[in-house]
Amino acid sequence: MTNKRIGKHHYFHLSRRHFIKGAAAGAVIMGAPAVLKGLTRTAKGAEKGTIRMLMTAPTIIPGDWKTFEAETGLKMQDTVMKDDPGLFLTEMQVNDAGDRFDIISTLAGVERPLIEGGNIIPIEHKNIPNWAGMPESIKAVPYLTRGLKPEGGTVWGTPLVMNADSFGYFPDKLGLPYPPEEVSWSLVFDDERTKGKSSTGTMFYYLEECAMYLKGSGKQQIGDPANMTPEEANKVADYMIERKKAGQFRSIHTTFDDQVQLIKNGEVLAIRCWEPAVKEAQKAGMKDFVYSNATEGYMKWMHGCYVPAQVADRGNFEEVYKALNWILSGSYAAAISPLRGYVSGRPDLGAQYAKEKGLDAAAAAAIDEAQAKLGKKFAKDLFWFTGAPDHLAEIQAATDRFVNA
Amino acid sequence: MALAEHAAGMNLRQFLPRMSAGIWSLSGFTFLWFIGIVVPLIGILLFSFLQTKGIKVQWDLTIKAYEKLFFYGGGPLIGRTIRIAATMTVIELLFAFPFALWLAKGAKNQNLKLITFTLLTVPFFLSPVARVIVWRSVMSVQGLVNTALLDIGIVSEPVEWLIFSEFAVHLGYLGQYFPAMVWPIFLSIALIDDEYLEASKDLGASRFRTLVHVILPLSLPGIVAGIIFSFVPMLGDTVVPQQMGGGNVMMISHNVYTMIGAANFVMAAALSAIILAIMLAFQVVLWAALRPVGGINNVFASLHR
Repeated sequence: MTNKRIGKHHYFHLSRRHFIKGAAAGAVIMGAPAVLKGLTRTAKGAEKGTIRMLMTAPTIIPGDWKTFEAETGLKMQDTVMKDDPGLFLTEMQVNDAGDRFDIISTLAGVERPLIEGGNIIPIEHKNIPNWAGMPESIKAVPYLTRGLKPEGGTVWGTPLVMNADSFGYFPDKLGLPYPPEEVSWSLVFDDERTKGKSSTGTMFYYLEECAMYLKGSGKQQIGDPANMTPEEANKVADYMIERKKAGQFRSIHTTFDDQVQLIKNGEVLAIRCWEPAVKEAQKAGMKDFVYSNATEGYMKWMHGCYVPAQVADRGNFEEVYKALNWILSGSYAAAISPLRGYVSGRPDLGAQYAKEKGLDAAAAAAIDEAQAKLGKKFAKDLFWFTGAPDHLAEIQAATDRFVNA
Repeated sequence: MALAEHAAGMNLRQFLPRMSAGIWSLSGFTFLWFIGIVVPLIGILLFSFLQTKGIKVQWDLTIKAYEKLFFYGGGPLIGRTIRIAATMTVIELLFAFPFALWLAKGAKNQNLKLITFTLLTVPFFLSPVARVIVWRSVMSVQGLVNTALLDIGIVSEPVEWLIFSEFAVHLGYLGQYFPAMVWPIFLSIALIDDEYLEASKDLGASRFRTLVHVILPLSLPGIVAGIIFSFVPMLGDTVVPQQMGGGNVMMISHNVYTMIGAANFVMAAALSAIILAIMLAFQVVLWAALRPVGGINNVFASLHR
């Protein structure tokens, strides 16, 4: 290549030979990340005695991991990312998160594409002593043993936490009964008493909950609220847009912090929220704000633990199984239920642990309440949240249509 | 060993095209810019004409993503985003210009100037969420403003539109992008030689005439930069519409986010391509608007003084 000056400007004369040389240099630069990726993959191998866990919600951490570390002799390195299925799947399937993590936990249902893509491997539940005594109703949750392989019986995950989500409300201000009396989801979507004082969210599962309400109250014919067709999703969105235009919603929230702020700032009388948001409000002195027992049913969900395929190459199965067993232990149950109101895979062990360790009455009551949920809220028909329904993109787009209206 | 290194160096030099250091660094930066900025943009554009299933791409060109975008309410969303961003850019300019003029030529107290500079700089070090979220407590139904209004007796019920409304989104943008508009205008006004202003005065021009015929033309580079630094980021802001609009006043960026969250990558790409088109259209409007003063090159030529 030569430079030539004409007037004020420089011009380049690029010969074919120089161009090929430049292109070769460019190819080396472009190819460098792939080479580096191979090198760093080796460096990312397991550090003995440390479990690296990727999780998609901060609320599933049992306060801290001190008890875990004391009881298992392992160290825990946790990384939390948002629970949007698209982001999580990209992290797993495009960014090879399995190279960097020994256990991943996500909303049960999202694991299906990971099974299909060979990103996670089956779990030998015989290596997890606490698996055996797990209530049959939990073992029957479809996501743990997805029927993707015809031979069946393959276990793909272990339960981390689960809950039956509904909404929070102020019984006294609304002249309504306290739980365990049931109240209708209409408080969120269609009630004069909460008009302009209710809130739902921007993600697709809020549309699914409205579908559950519409189906449960007989207002719309919907097959499975957890796995709607695009047509069904759009009909539900039409209903929500109509309610939005009627002034039902004070706000359409995005995050857990949003939920807590709306309650604490007195912006809402009823809000579809996570149970921990109610716990936060109660901790701030709002004892008259409660989590509902809902007439039409609940969005039942589970966070599961899964093992990335790369663990097979790293050879730290023993430590991974030890960690999975602890998550099914009484220690985890006794920590997470009082803290968040969630149900672990072994609530019975939680109750036993509380008795043995002499936990205070409030903690013991929270653990008992979590155990009782299995027989009450979880016994309702509607519906198990699938995490990644067949028409996820269309259902979210229908939700966006409601949010943008 | 040294010989081997020398030989390797020679080989490398022989391999690379012969160019001056300046041209090498220019080419290097251009190459990095191309790889880091242009290639991803081309990728987004290409992706918006594809279809995906999960993370699997179907390589058939189609405009389905754009069709779906408009079916799912993309039109009003885009309109709202442009309207709010444009309105706020004009309002920011109207507030920022006199403020920057005062700061550059009016404020004589050095301590006051220093404090003002600090106040204008601090927001850049704070998280956008931290800057905006404070408004939630101030403007909520039980917030400071409503409490004051109720106590004074101006209203009998809390004013609900102070938050989670278009008014609130506009207010949120005002504080968020004020420094971005003020700084470039301040810098361009500060560069104006005081002798020009003295000369204008000596020739009998009024203050207003000096402002219009001397200060305004010479501060155009800062005004143009301020407009770009305010309008363009507003198009992509996720914090203000969410925190202040409370989900009632959504703008484009939020939808890009939720679409990616739902693995709807092609519609997210289509919406991003539309943002790109808006920015290009904005540049064209800016170019056309600056033609009467000699075009954009002439505007920045005023910095050579």
